[in-house]
Amino acid sequence: MTILRQTYLVLRKDLLLELRRRDSLLTMFFFGTLLLFVFNFSFDLAPDKVAAMAPALLWLAFLFTGTLGLAQLFQAERENHCLDALLLSPLDRGALFLAKTLFNFILMLLVEIVVIPLFWILFNLPSWNLLPQLFLVTLLGTVGFCVLGTILSAVTLRARARELLLPLVLFPLMIPVILATIRCMENVMRTGMIGDALPWLRLLLGFDVIFLTVGVLIFDRVVEA
Amino acid sequence: MRLAVRKLAKAYGFLWAVRDLHIELAAGDLVALLGPNGAGKTTFLKLLAGLIEPTEGTVAFDGTALAASDARRRRQIGLLAPADHLYDNLTVKENLEFFAELYDKKPSGSQLAATLDQVQLAERAGEYTGNLSSGMKCRLSIAKWQLLEPGLLLLDEPYGVLDGNGVDLLEGFLKAHCAKGNLVIMASHHVARVLKLCNRAIILHQGRLSFDEPRQQPWPSFDAAFGEYLPRGDL
Repeated sequence: MTILRQTYLVLRKDLLLELRRRDSLLTMFFFGTLLLFVFNFSFDLAPDKVAAMAPALLWLAFLFTGTLGLAQLFQAERENHCLDALLLSPLDRGALFLAKTLFNFILMLLVEIVVIPLFWILFNLPSWNLLPQLFLVTLLGTVGFCVLGTILSAVTLRARARELLLPLVLFPLMIPVILATIRCMENVMRTGMIGDALPWLRLLLGFDVIFLTVGVLIFDRVVEA
Repeated sequence: MRLAVRKLAKAYGFLWAVRDLHIELAAGDLVALLGPNGAGKTTFLKLLAGLIEPTEGTVAFDGTALAASDARRRRQIGLLAPADHLYDNLTVKENLEFFAELYDKKPSGSQLAATLDQVQLAERAGEYTGNLSSGMKCRLSIAKWQLLEPGLLLLDEPYGVLDGNGVDLLEGFLKAHCAKGNLVIMASHHVARVLKLCNRAIILHQGRLSFDEPRQQPWPSFDAAFGEYLPRGDL
């Protein structure tokens, strides 16, 4: 139970800091919205191309927006050497990982709640009834992104050009999540159900579970390196 | 608390920052850690704090060697970094509460108020820590460790940011902390001041232990070592 209590403590602290600074969330909101407008001006989604293109465009927006959030994930800990203060304390490193992953997940979720309906409005998509299913798939993809992103954000924490390095290592490793999420969303948009994309959904679930477990187990080595 | 450091060493690549350190400290010791720049004082403190892994050697608390990653060890150690290790966007009170909870302490409101009052920050309890001066942040750090009561408290150059009153506060806290059987190791270049406070002095030179004795009056062996390793000091 200690790990859960510590996770709650760090998460509460991070949410409080974000509420006061609003650095990450505001930047992510504006950037996500801006991307949607750019896509809207650049692409004309004909009805026969919607299912193929919409998920990819949405995920591009989430990837870029989420990477901005990841770059800021340990910002509070970088200031005043607060990471050392946390590492010095009896805080379980797994709790630190879970708290940071959850914090990142909450930020992404808030952005997605705005961005997905906005995408539908901007591209004048008719299939509003599919949104709950698409949102569910997006949630699973977001978990994968946050889990892997938190690990790699900690890996690049002490790197000099971390803002450049993070996407370079994150995007290739994110390919299974991106592929699986896009395929699942595509299938939902074509047929109204997951159906044939079930193996992709399993891959997504497997990825989430494996990297969440790996993160809890190895985060001490990652963050103390 | 007793501390036993055996054969402790840390290398960065081919460079030994500290090497072959053997030190035994008894409960209540207040130790001055001295040495010229680059002698390995900060590395030694970081090794004790568990912030870096040693290349060789062990650190034992009350006879039990504990790895740097061991939560039991981390619970017993505090590192007072004068104006660091505090969140700027949390208030003074929230910083204390957050770290107290991390260390499984649940101070009451009156306990928090009393601790802040001791370091003369009671009136600024609701203010953001980022608005405090460096000296006030140092006072807040003192309050933090007063509340957390670590068995071994490490300090790295605490005098630089404190005013006269702050120095009195710090020294009063350190004496009271050691009187309870806890240990304090303080690295400082304010040699005259730290020697008055400590009951033991350690000098590091080029990463090795070159002097380790309890304080005496007069102290010719220290004067000789000091002259050799810290020739431009302010004693």
